[in-house]
Amino acid sequence: MKSILKTVALAALVGVAAVGAASAEPIKVGVAAEPYPPFTSPDASGKWVGWEVEFMNAVCAEAKLECVITPVAWDGIIPALTTKKIDAIMSSMSITDERLKTIDFSDKYYNTPTGIIGPKSEKFTATPEGLKGKILGVQVSTIHAEYAQKHFKDVVSEIKEYQTQDEANNDLAAGRVDAVQADAITLDSFLASDQGKECCESKGNVVDDPAVLGAGVGIGLRKDETELKGKFNAAIKAIRANGTYDKFSKAYFDFDVYGK
Amino acid sequence: MDLSLLALSPPGWGGVLLAGLFSSLQLAVGGYLLGLIIGIGGASGKLYGGPIVRDLLEIYTTLVRAIPELVLILLLYYAGTDLVNQLTALLGLPSVDISGLAAGIFVIGVVQGAYSTEVLRGAIKAIPAGQIEAARAYGMSPFMTLRRITLPAMLPYAVPGLSNLWLIATKDTALLAVVGFSELTLVTRQAAGTTKHYLTFFLAAGVLYLAVTLVSNIAIGAIERRARRGMVREA
Repeated sequence: MKSILKTVALAALVGVAAVGAASAEPIKVGVAAEPYPPFTSPDASGKWVGWEVEFMNAVCAEAKLECVITPVAWDGIIPALTTKKIDAIMSSMSITDERLKTIDFSDKYYNTPTGIIGPKSEKFTATPEGLKGKILGVQVSTIHAEYAQKHFKDVVSEIKEYQTQDEANNDLAAGRVDAVQADAITLDSFLASDQGKECCESKGNVVDDPAVLGAGVGIGLRKDETELKGKFNAAIKAIRANGTYDKFSKAYFDFDVYGK
Repeated sequence: MDLSLLALSPPGWGGVLLAGLFSSLQLAVGGYLLGLIIGIGGASGKLYGGPIVRDLLEIYTTLVRAIPELVLILLLYYAGTDLVNQLTALLGLPSVDISGLAAGIFVIGVVQGAYSTEVLRGAIKAIPAGQIEAARAYGMSPFMTLRRITLPAMLPYAVPGLSNLWLIATKDTALLAVVGFSELTLVTRQAAGTTKHYLTFFLAAGVLYLAVTLVSNIAIGAIERRARRGMVREA
């Protein structure tokens, strides 16, 4: 309630400040148009819910920006940003050198380890030895796909790339792949679902490789948007400092999702 | 199968599916109408235009019919918007935002236009030449000839091809799912993925597409009967 009052008060202040000036266009925040719990997923009323949606609301309120969620296909999300269909990406996109060639990022807002899951019936570990001869599923154009290409390509029998994480999980449950590599938190969320509970379990986290796995998840921005970047960075810092970040995170995680 | 998942209000996903169906129909109707307009223009151009117009239209219909629609959609959706924005930047105008719906209608319209150009060209050629000559003899302008003679007379020949195109248009809308436009197929995938009830949702989507086709068939039948009035019933 307090935060609502605060938002209203802020909005009123912004409203007063903006009188006379041209009304600012809302910032279109792109999210991958797929269920990616617990970060972003659509609910039965067609609204987007999850930790990252709460993060967006908090950071936009703090930066006094009006943000609207715009679902975009994951594999086209960077072109959508550069062609101005969207103005920012908040879709669990890790900051990597490869992506920094085309777009810019805000400071990181969360960082989680990378895990591998597999069927309960098979015992193996998240190492090149453990994955020997297995079929590994990953989501296309992700740090996990790149990591798998770099570290597991020579030992696994095949790396299958999926358009959405959901499809990779589904194929694991159906037995078409032997293991799936992804963000450990989103895998946990799958393991907690009815489908995941029955079939699969965690096989542990992979050895970190910062060159590929990056330095955490940031807000993707166009290269020339330094003003917007400054606003977002200040807002991330502010909600970290004033406790808002921890408050909404607690409802989703029992550990610090911000990472080291 | 859990039918309560398809209830119209949350926690059922029926409302979301119907909203997706509505988006699909908007795309299909918009794209089809745009395609018809392009088709009438294209067919007239191919039949009565000068050599340059004919060659340009030939390139258009050949290219569009040769390239898979999925590739065209990706190309026009991303590269097309970029091109429009570069143009507006050159002219000193602010960048425009092309909505998924507008881009989708444009893409489906361009694709459908190429096919309906050919369908209409064939239908116009089937009109006995004497009817058009008679219109000219009465001193009708080319536009009046088109409106009074050519279009009504070619309709019986065009309806089967055009109704095929309509049914294809309703299903082509599903291709817009790849660019993240919330039409029926994408919302179905999202609902299925979130709830893990794949069979329920994909069957429901199939039923909705089938319903569109069945309703369309009734409408097409009525149009065809009207277009063929006064003609000898075949078989």
